[in-house]
Amino acid sequence: MLRYAARRLAAAVPVVLGVAVVTFLLLRLIPGDPARAVLGIHASPQQVAQLRHQLGLDEPIYQQLWSFLVGLAHGNTGTSIYYKVPVSSLIWAALPVTASLVAVSAVFCVVITVPLASLAAARQDRPADHAVRVFSLVGLGMPSFFFGIILIIVFAVDLHWFSVGGWGTTFTGHLRSLVLPGLTAAIAIAPVLIRSLRVGMLEVIESDFVAAARAKGLRGPRVLLAHVARNALIPTVTLLGINIAYLIGSTVVIERVFDLNGLGNLMLNAIGVRDFPVVQGVTIVYAIAVVVINLLTDLAAAQLDPRVRLR
Amino acid sequence: MAGQPGTDEIRPAARPPGLARTSPGLTRTSPGLTRRDLLWRSVAGAGLLAAGPVLAACSSGTATSSAGASANAGTPKRGGTLSFGRQTGPTQLDPANSIVEGDVYTLDKIFEPLYITNPAGQLVPWLAQGHTVSTDGKTWTFALRPGVKFSDGKPVTADDVVFSIQRAAGDANGPLSFLDFAIKSLKADGTSSVVATLSQPWAPFLSDISVFANAILPKDFGGQSASAFFASPVGTGPFTLKSFVKGGNVSLVRNPHYWQAGKPYLNAVDFVYINDDNQRVLQLKSGQVQVISAVPPTQVSALKADSSVVLEEFPSWAVDLVFFNEKVPQFADRNVRRAINYALNIPAIAQATTYGTAKPGGSFFPPSLQYYNDVPTLSYNLSAAKAELAKSKYPHGFSFSLLVSSGNSQYVAAATIIQQQLKPLGITVTLDQLDDAAFHTAFEAFNYQAMINGATNDISDPDEMASFQVDVQNGGSHSFWTYYDNPSAIALVRQAETQFDDAKRAALYAQIQAIVAQDAPYIALDYPPNIYAWSPQLHGFAVNPGGAYRLEDVWLG
Repeated sequence: MLRYAARRLAAAVPVVLGVAVVTFLLLRLIPGDPARAVLGIHASPQQVAQLRHQLGLDEPIYQQLWSFLVGLAHGNTGTSIYYKVPVSSLIWAALPVTASLVAVSAVFCVVITVPLASLAAARQDRPADHAVRVFSLVGLGMPSFFFGIILIIVFAVDLHWFSVGGWGTTFTGHLRSLVLPGLTAAIAIAPVLIRSLRVGMLEVIESDFVAAARAKGLRGPRVLLAHVARNALIPTVTLLGINIAYLIGSTVVIERVFDLNGLGNLMLNAIGVRDFPVVQGVTIVYAIAVVVINLLTDLAAAQLDPRVRLR
Repeated sequence: MAGQPGTDEIRPAARPPGLARTSPGLTRTSPGLTRRDLLWRSVAGAGLLAAGPVLAACSSGTATSSAGASANAGTPKRGGTLSFGRQTGPTQLDPANSIVEGDVYTLDKIFEPLYITNPAGQLVPWLAQGHTVSTDGKTWTFALRPGVKFSDGKPVTADDVVFSIQRAAGDANGPLSFLDFAIKSLKADGTSSVVATLSQPWAPFLSDISVFANAILPKDFGGQSASAFFASPVGTGPFTLKSFVKGGNVSLVRNPHYWQAGKPYLNAVDFVYINDDNQRVLQLKSGQVQVISAVPPTQVSALKADSSVVLEEFPSWAVDLVFFNEKVPQFADRNVRRAINYALNIPAIAQATTYGTAKPGGSFFPPSLQYYNDVPTLSYNLSAAKAELAKSKYPHGFSFSLLVSSGNSQYVAAATIIQQQLKPLGITVTLDQLDDAAFHTAFEAFNYQAMINGATNDISDPDEMASFQVDVQNGGSHSFWTYYDNPSAIALVRQAETQFDDAKRAALYAQIQAIVAQDAPYIALDYPPNIYAWSPQLHGFAVNPGGAYRLEDVWLG
């Protein structure tokens, strides 16, 4: 398995490199000048030209790309044009926020999905099943920025249970700040997982070994958890992995709604002022995160299903 | 200029021939969308959710900005920490290199200039006690306020002042260094007096000196490098820096050596970076912060009705306008521009796009700016519009594209209304929306036909705005990227710069505003106020028309 992981990681290098190069080129294709954003509207063309030269923005694109890639090979993502500090320091400051948000949402996903899907599968075509299916449809259709604001108004402004936004300063402060955004993100993804797990469980319930387990006299809940869920979980884990990768993208909106200064907010602001090195740096982190999560998903699926061989 | 009783000796000076408008290395440019504008850039991404990216967005009937202070009766209480939710987070604290809201309104609590602009828009002596001007208007002597100390306890001397202003004036990358272009030399006269010699008589000088970029720092940064100094800055302001996350939150604590005895009242101030409009409002309502900047105009009426919140619209030196690029033949035709001006129902546009928060536009000077004059404008009259167009070279209309920044919902809405209101003239408008960074690149390269944009004066003197928008060759922006060129208006702008007599200056600016209103090189749509909201427990909060708020008088009850 280690060799497999190492090979997969090696294969990720060209993927991350491709993302880096495409981002680099796209940024330079769109109009907008970082030097202007730094100097303000009063700056003379000479001042702008001087700063562009200082930043190396007047060099030919292939030369800029080359220095960017050389820097990257040395683990150097450059210096922010706008904040004038190393990009890595900005990323390290923002990464814990986004990572915790993704982790909390993943936990919420599982906490919401497993009981609801089990309930729906066990009570197929009965009112509980219909309720779960309607709930997942509503969750799927609700835009996260809208749902997030509803949660804020009810649980933060009126009830004061959680903070409206921000990141807090203590560990409990962080947790209080992460509940609502984590829930918002989870609600958007859970419906897909609930449906997948429900269908999976229904298929397994029909199978011979479940009938055999029941025939042995095992009770319903034990059959459901030990035999049905374990087998139905495999496609759902894969789906969860894909959705966590997707979740990383949706944190951009959620961070904005909940005022979390994570990678998403960092990138949005950087795009606004055309802070090229920051946008490139964050994109690379996203690319790496997606690759790693996909790998972990495959490893987890292999653990759950002995039939899967990793080569 | 708002002088200081007894200390000013402002004398009229003869206008010297052949004014040199540029000093070596510095391009004389002027006001524009500076802070607001840069603010948009810093939040351009917010377009996703932000309802109105305009920082200041609008204005209503508030007559004076000191109204906020007057509403706060009672004896000030000492202590407490103020949490202040703002739309931008600071990136650095060097006065000479700042222009973004988050930077400027953080560093001005740490560093102070010789004069400041109060909430009523008047200049008041601050680190200076007063000043005198020579009869030729070229030698300005500032007497320093005695007993002022830096936050490290060392006294402020004339050498510190000379160092600070020279540094600001000489910084080629300083976004506002152009304001110091008239300074020929600065020298200390003893320890408590500074003499500035100007290259020409320059009426706006006191206003220029009051800009935050000219704030006073210890000479040679107290022996440190600039970067070490700005990491733990030492100034004369009411607060000193405690902690600072670049682009994020900043904490300030009381300066024990502050020169105003007993102030500041607050122990500490936390500036919290809250980019999203809804978040700022909700965090205020939940009590997480006690005051917020840049309240979105869409929420103003709801917050006014909310008794748990105080909302105030402070008049600003800002104006939103439609600009015409006169390199486009249609817009070089004065009759066409006048026809468009007549065809626009400005009060209706202002009401609809700012939710009644901004006063409708008239003169290109905002009403809160010194020497504003309520000059006659080409107000809504469709038959006059048709008559003007008939006199032009395009009597049957034409098409043009109107450039707007896509993140600015107010401007996009205004553009849509303009599109409708020009139809009766046979003028077809297409909307050209670009994200803010691309928008700037486009119009600064004159790559547009007409646009909606905002202009802001940074200082109390209107010369900044007048030369930026009228003086096509020397103003720094070819009349705000329009190429509007009216030699008689330009001559009046030059005259006003060297005119020290208040009444005569007012008359000159009235003439300039009248000429521009008739030429219609750009059309003022509205005057957006700076909108702030705070908890009723906060007292003494007020904002000046430049958008700056001082916190030494603020207290929590």
